[in-house]
Amino acid sequence: MTKNFIEIQGQRLSLTNLEKILYPAYGFTKAHILDYYRKVAKHIIPHLKDRALTLKRYPDGTDKEYFYEKRCPSHRPAWVKTTDVIQDDGGRRTFCVVNDLESLIWVENLASLELHVPLAKAYSPNTPDSVVFDLDPGDHADILHCARVALILRDLLGELGLSSYVKTSGQKGLHVLIPLNNSETTFQDTKQFSKSTAEVMQTNYPDLVTAKQSKELRKGKVFINWSQNDAKKTMICVYSLRAREKPFVSFPLAWKELEDAERDRDRTKLHILYSDALERVEKAGDLFAEVLGKKQRLPHLKKSSTAETQRTQTE
Amino acid sequence: MKKTHSIKLPAKLSAKGEHEPAHQAIWSGTISFSLVAIPVHLVRAVEPGRISFRMLHTHDNSPLLRRMVCPEEEKIIPPEEIVRGFETAQGRYILITDEELESVTPERSRTIEIIEFVDMEEIDPVYYDHPYYLIPSKGGEKSYTLLAEVMNRTSKAGLAKFILGEQEYLVAVKSAEGVLSMITLHYSDEVLGDDDISNETTKTDNEEKNRIKKLIRENTVEYDPDKYADERSGKILDLLRKKARTKGYVKAPEIEMEEEGEGPGDLVALLRKSMGKVKKADD
Repeated sequence: MTKNFIEIQGQRLSLTNLEKILYPAYGFTKAHILDYYRKVAKHIIPHLKDRALTLKRYPDGTDKEYFYEKRCPSHRPAWVKTTDVIQDDGGRRTFCVVNDLESLIWVENLASLELHVPLAKAYSPNTPDSVVFDLDPGDHADILHCARVALILRDLLGELGLSSYVKTSGQKGLHVLIPLNNSETTFQDTKQFSKSTAEVMQTNYPDLVTAKQSKELRKGKVFINWSQNDAKKTMICVYSLRAREKPFVSFPLAWKELEDAERDRDRTKLHILYSDALERVEKAGDLFAEVLGKKQRLPHLKKSSTAETQRTQTE
Repeated sequence: MKKTHSIKLPAKLSAKGEHEPAHQAIWSGTISFSLVAIPVHLVRAVEPGRISFRMLHTHDNSPLLRRMVCPEEEKIIPPEEIVRGFETAQGRYILITDEELESVTPERSRTIEIIEFVDMEEIDPVYYDHPYYLIPSKGGEKSYTLLAEVMNRTSKAGLAKFILGEQEYLVAVKSAEGVLSMITLHYSDEVLGDDDISNETTKTDNEEKNRIKKLIRENTVEYDPDKYADERSGKILDLLRKKARTKGYVKAPEIEMEEEGEGPGDLVALLRKSMGKVKKADD
């Protein structure tokens, strides 16, 4: 095994197998991957910060076996932060937390091409920072169908007074997020809201949308996966690479870009390669900054007290 | 390599789609001996054919869940209130945290390193635990065939230490008809001795011995695993098929996460109203 030593913020790190090709169809090596994450660090770290990280590792490349590593490897350096998460069986599990460049480079040296995070921070595991709609095309549907659904969703949420943001999943779908960033909303609230929204969408666009997981029902449609709004689930982190034939990225898009792509029927603009990603963040900064900062409340919770009184009056 | 008779529920009758497809790799890495390292993956060699049932509630056929219940408080205990205890004497426990358990868990390993070779016959079958097949991964075919052939000719088994799913195993790697297989072995302290069972002081009669020897000779055949089948499983399967035909199925109520139905009325009304506006703008 070849080793290179580097020093970041005074922490000495040994990087291994830098020349190993991890995207064989693209000739993309571990050195390329480390370089990508180093360059995007400034933008991705705020989105990883304080979250129990799930590493999806591809030690022998994207075409070989991978595994999800939830437990932070015990051979971690002392300075890698961790958090304990209570599991269903009552046990605790120690996860890695990436709050700085040196930890990011360390997890990437483990060939963790994909970084998955929960919607809540480790210290408030039941308080999601956002609502997510995971738009997943079924067979015979593609990312342009997702774009159409995302745009309708944006308008619907807009009617409810909610700003939403969209990113590519880096695979075939799109993720629409509603930032909340308040400490009152629970996963139960967000799940209920996203489920009801998905069902209303399904009722109004039955040929385009399904709110049900079933593969059969998804044919030619977009599945709005609302069940991701759960403390136990993780999502691909924005700016994370995806393990595909090429190094595509889960990347934020401006709504205008989605409108253009849908109008021009141009799906190529909806698959962002690592090089485009770096170029774009360089120019435009973090398009997802608002997802971390914007404070919003779900409409039915905002008015819950008045709704309660109304209901008692009418009954 | 002969596949032994297996009883599988037909897909339509299967209670759960839980059976992993045959020959799905459960581990991949290298098997190494001296300077040779062969990339391989590991697949199960047997799949127990036992028929399993779900427990349902008689009222509505809902599948039931297992929960941890405190008999003292007669209530379900949430995960954060549960800890492991090792019982040293009745009612006395040593508490062990996850961290402590993890600190003694071996690191994942990607090699099966053969340390030494033994004659396969020397390993008493009582040590055998779980069998697996080793399949060459891409690029490893040639050296795999070589090792498999050499080992077959010498009828030796390679002993190796191997880590799978947090457990460390002693394994024997052996070769039969060009296929390498691996069997996990019990550690010696797991095997119960047979010293109490054998009884050498009792005298045996020679004539009696010869009679039994003859009987064994007369009843000796070549082992044919296909000749035997799990009869009870077969009968249960027949019963299931018959019931599927005559009585059909019962349906469990669909479980939609926590909440059933539409969600709060005001939310649904709000969404419908907003949706109406969006659709109008769309036209």
